[in-house]
Amino acid sequence: MIQLALGLMFLTLPLASAAQVESYNIDPFHTVPYWETDHIGFATMRGRFDRATGNFSIDRAAKTGTLEIVIQTATLSTGDTDRGVRRRTRDEHLRSPDFFNVAEFPTMTYRATNVRFAGDGPDVIEGELTLLGVTKPVSLKVERWRCGPDPRTAGKRYQCGGNVTGSFKRSDFGMKFGLPTAIGDDVKLWMSFYGFRN
Amino acid sequence: MDELLSNPAVQVGIVPILAAFTVALVVALLLHPLRLGGLAVVAAFLTTMYFVSGLALSPLTATRKIIILSIAAPVVGILMDFAFKPTRMGGAVLALCAAAGAFWVFWPVLAQKPTAEAWLLGASAVVAIAFMVGYAQLYLAGDAVRAGAAGLGLGLGTGIAAILSASVSYGLYGIALGAGAGAFLLPQMITGRKRSAGATFTLTVTLTAGLVAAGAMILAKLPWYSLLVLALVPVGPRLPVPETAPVWLQAVLLSLYGFVIGGAACTLAWRFPDGIPG
Repeated sequence: MIQLALGLMFLTLPLASAAQVESYNIDPFHTVPYWETDHIGFATMRGRFDRATGNFSIDRAAKTGTLEIVIQTATLSTGDTDRGVRRRTRDEHLRSPDFFNVAEFPTMTYRATNVRFAGDGPDVIEGELTLLGVTKPVSLKVERWRCGPDPRTAGKRYQCGGNVTGSFKRSDFGMKFGLPTAIGDDVKLWMSFYGFRN
Repeated sequence: MDELLSNPAVQVGIVPILAAFTVALVVALLLHPLRLGGLAVVAAFLTTMYFVSGLALSPLTATRKIIILSIAAPVVGILMDFAFKPTRMGGAVLALCAAAGAFWVFWPVLAQKPTAEAWLLGASAVVAIAFMVGYAQLYLAGDAVRAGAAGLGLGLGTGIAAILSASVSYGLYGIALGAGAGAFLLPQMITGRKRSAGATFTLTVTLTAGLVAAGAMILAKLPWYSLLVLALVPVGPRLPVPETAPVWLQAVLLSLYGFVIGGAACTLAWRFPDGIPG
């Protein structure tokens, strides 16, 4: 009888462990990656991508997690959508092969390879950014993180949300137009995100 | 001088083209006597490419495939010039190979577009490039001044049209080809002596310019009808000029013919960037 009980316990251990892994789908309407970079040494230009999808998971007991975000590069926006007297807007230029080359690379992706925790929440996400067909390591700092029932659904839906920041050199990904002084090489990332628990 | 060189506009636009023209002129001066002056074009193109985006070949993007074909073109051109006699069949074969090259460069991008758009852009690219390469090989390769004028108009037209179409880098690649063709022409204008063009020059300049223009259409915003008009640039320098006129004057007149057609392509890109009304 004891042997049977022990056997059942061992059989159910993996299930118990799996039950602690919570998986979330990214909310594409409230997950917005922003970026900023220097413009001819005078000012900082900011832009964003209007559509990002993906998922993440978190195991609070094991202090592990996963993250995958797919960003539609054609949704890039700096707010410059009216050509005025010009032939092309800044957004159209940023979508061209000079920068994000969205016709050839319609998505950029970020995949976590390791999540470091501080206390109960994630603190630093180590991962790889794939941009213009080049994959390089990029770390994201979790600046804000909160999980709980979604007040908009009277608590029926459980969500996690927060902000992450990071940075990379665009030249590492082959995006070299305007270097060294016209357009900065260092790109800062700032992203708000929400995920709904499955 | 330091202040000038640190000017972003100079760094992005002027330095790559000046460097391209200088390198191309040296190549033209050194290699004209060997019937290899046409290599000035690829020298100019690769110099500008080095300054603007680097010469890496991985990952193998459409732009990097253009680099590979721009290097392969003069190799094939030299083979054609030194191992075969120019024939109509040779021109047709080159045109077909150029069309296949365009398909190889752009198919992965076109495959991601809606079917109708992919057909329109793909067919425009293949037809334009095959026509430019075949026509130049058949009718311009034997006259270095006409070929040089066609290359000048094609390069500058492609470059300016690409800039109007949201890609400065593709614009610079096109202008670099024009600079290379100008460097190919200049020694002939100064010495008054026509040199050899051959497939070494015509294949390189028409294939590379055609691919750059097609890239500006598929990857940026160049209208398809601008590309088709650009493809007609090599026809202009076939128009008659006084054969007894000095070489420099012939070069100027023939270049003007090319500029008119290239200018028409740029005007279309300027006036009708999103389609011709009606």
